[in-house]
Amino acid sequence: MRRAWGIVLAVLLLVGVGAAIVVGRDTGDGGGGTVAIRGVIGSEKAEFFADPDVVAALADQGLTVQAQSVGSWAMDDVDLAGYDFAFPSSQGPADALRGATGDPGTSLRPFYSPLVVLAHRQAADVLAAGGLATLEGDNVGRLSMAAYLAAVEQGRTWQELEGAEARDGLSGALYISSTDPLTSNSGALYLAAASFVANEGQVVADAAAVERTAPLLRTLVQVQGSQQSSSEGPFRDFVSGVGNPLVLAYESQVAALLIGGADPGDMVVLYPDTTATSDHTLVPLTDDGRRLGEALATDPELRRLAVRHGFRPQGATAEFTEAAAAHPAYLMDGLDGIRQAPAPTADVLRTMAERAKG
Amino acid sequence: MRTGARLAALLGALALAAACTGAQDDGGDGGGVAAAGTVRILAGSELADMAPLLERAAEETGVTAEVTSVGTLDATRTVLSGEADGAYDAVWLATNDYLRLHPDAERRILTETSIMTSPVALGLRPDALDRLGWRPDEVTWAQVHEAATAGDLTFGMTDPTRSNSGYSALISVTSALSGAQSALTAEDVAGSATRLRELFAGQRLTSGSSGWLADAFRQRGDVDALINYESVLLGLDRDGAADLEVIRPLDGVVTARYPLTTLASASPEAGEALRLLGAYLRGDEAQRALTQETLRRPVAAGVTAAEAIPEGQRRELPYPGSLDVADALLDAYDGELRRPSRTLYVLDTSGSMEGERLAALQAALIRLTGADNPAGQRFRDREEVTLMPFDDTVVSTDTWTIDAERREDALAAIRSGVDSLTAEGGTAVYASLIEAYELLAAEGAQDAFTSIVLMTDGENRDEVGAADFEDFHRALPEEQRHVPVFTVLFGDSDRDELRLIADETGGELFDAVGGSLDDAFQEIRGYQ
Repeated sequence: MRRAWGIVLAVLLLVGVGAAIVVGRDTGDGGGGTVAIRGVIGSEKAEFFADPDVVAALADQGLTVQAQSVGSWAMDDVDLAGYDFAFPSSQGPADALRGATGDPGTSLRPFYSPLVVLAHRQAADVLAAGGLATLEGDNVGRLSMAAYLAAVEQGRTWQELEGAEARDGLSGALYISSTDPLTSNSGALYLAAASFVANEGQVVADAAAVERTAPLLRTLVQVQGSQQSSSEGPFRDFVSGVGNPLVLAYESQVAALLIGGADPGDMVVLYPDTTATSDHTLVPLTDDGRRLGEALATDPELRRLAVRHGFRPQGATAEFTEAAAAHPAYLMDGLDGIRQAPAPTADVLRTMAERAKG
Repeated sequence: MRTGARLAALLGALALAAACTGAQDDGGDGGGVAAAGTVRILAGSELADMAPLLERAAEETGVTAEVTSVGTLDATRTVLSGEADGAYDAVWLATNDYLRLHPDAERRILTETSIMTSPVALGLRPDALDRLGWRPDEVTWAQVHEAATAGDLTFGMTDPTRSNSGYSALISVTSALSGAQSALTAEDVAGSATRLRELFAGQRLTSGSSGWLADAFRQRGDVDALINYESVLLGLDRDGAADLEVIRPLDGVVTARYPLTTLASASPEAGEALRLLGAYLRGDEAQRALTQETLRRPVAAGVTAAEAIPEGQRRELPYPGSLDVADALLDAYDGELRRPSRTLYVLDTSGSMEGERLAALQAALIRLTGADNPAGQRFRDREEVTLMPFDDTVVSTDTWTIDAERREDALAAIRSGVDSLTAEGGTAVYASLIEAYELLAAEGAQDAFTSIVLMTDGENRDEVGAADFEDFHRALPEEQRHVPVFTVLFGDSDRDELRLIADETGGELFDAVGGSLDDAFQEIRGYQ
């Protein structure tokens, strides 16, 4: 049933996607200069691959990339025959794909982005006063995941916290808005990070641990009511000054905004002290697919463009550091003391998401 | 419906403008699929105010938006049933939340792009604000409930089974009055029923669409407040249509997000065109224009909201997380919480109705008697329904009340009343309408949404004419004068005649010549 659902989804996406399909330049490159390759990507990278400068930089590497958006957690249900690469937004699905395709070749992780929590100034101050967060600057701080999860489990409300004012939108249950964990990578990673903390620093890997963490994850999801399907939605709500006071986002969304020169106002970026990271992991299915992965990982121009879209390139992080240096008030360049929760396998995470939603 | 026609005319002009610029094949976006020149969008009726911006978008991007106006519920049904596939490339509604609660939605939707936001708020006339002694930045739904219960506050809102602004308001007040701290549950809905009923006792205006509600509110100085999108309320105030203090209650709001949503069935070319359109609308220039022109909140960082838009955050009340809870709330509203309906159907059964026309009328009415129909698509519990068929005179007057305990009996009785309609004789439109008002006057004051539906397939053939009705209507006591007549254009009826009746009585004209009688009768449910 699940497989069937995944295939239907994939077929629909392949037929309908359009928006993210890049068929390359028929003109200007003298024709046969590039190899056309096809792949499936997590939707967070659609804008990257649609960026004309990225298309040009890939052409300089001799590549024309046709990228189709597929939910990262649905990729293992897609028939990948005829594709050159799969580029999910997490390592979990990448590992599953490597197993399934029988290609033991190393996958490439050209860039990544940690999950962060966005708050407006007043909300961040209230969290800090209540011992749920520590602020390390006007617009950046750390969220204590253990304290936060305990607060949600206990059904804590904003009005119970010192300094919370209804006129700042700070009333009702305290919780982070995420996306639907069944369809969206960031929503799934939120459960990964929370379950890692709840499972005493162990990745949830068996039925017993799923059982143990299920009540907490269910609360985290049920309290939210209807969830949006892409991290874009809650992020735009935040920028617009509406929606829940605490919003889960990718650091790349904030960084892209800052690097693009926009004024984020009184936004405070809270890095959870245990967070999950979106590891944009490319699984090569052909040699040409591997070439793409290597180009993304090593070509200075492509690395620079990844930073423009807010991603952290793998390895030496000079590019990101340089871009982030202009915005130290918001970004935590070194991620010092931030623990990275590894994601459970795709199957385990999906089971957890289904139980939390159901 | 008027809005739809206006929009269609404007969009015709837009198509011409785009054809002149022919910009879609300039290839300036770095490769990729060629964008379609036109995209077909099924959009919420309140988005008519985006037409000028879409016109500019067409000039800038070469993508012309062909917009069809529709209510949220109808759009949801169209998308889920697959009817939208092939007919539209995108939907653009206040929210996809209700749509997404359906398991089928996931495979019908490809991508969403947030364009702008607007919370559902309370617009209060300044004299009412003074009378109640409220401070605009401190008002809560709990206070609204108290005032409505005491008879100190009356308001209008759209029908939650038809329109997102009404449903958002229903979520807001249910959350506030149940004391729910997070997403609503079935217990929250049941537990707050008494208080909700007290609140809705203050509701004086209901409608299937935001636009009509705003018009009606303008004409009804005796109604204190209007619940609608912040943007609509600020617009009424700005345009001088109604002096309003726009209040976002402190205990929380539900915000519309207007995601431009590409359907999975859209062609790659249409998808690319929608991407370009979305990118344009998200750009700083368009965001500045939309907040200034439509008074919605921008979603681009660095673009400040129009000055009229109040500052300060409000708690966002979550949309229900399951279809069961969402629909239980609608059922409760429709059957138990709202003021009941008092509905008169004045139906032309003259000789010209014989055959297919009478059959169509009977089928449309029978459809409203399905006990299992979703909320808003059948006669409601507690509703009092009168069928008043007429030819040269009123043929008969039969009234039924739908009691929840014996719902099926009442609906069956209405069905047999409908079955017994026969067509013969002439067409006395105005004399029959006058009789309907006289019946209501004889019944005396009722705590109900009272309305008349007038369906005719021909012109008036009686000596009592439009002028006589006008005199009669003007002389009615206030209570009856406020009873709207919803006229249904059918067969060979006279559009001007029916438009005039609707305008005079504060009703609306529904076109069953361009559309179907069935759809018109369904749509009218939102106003009853």
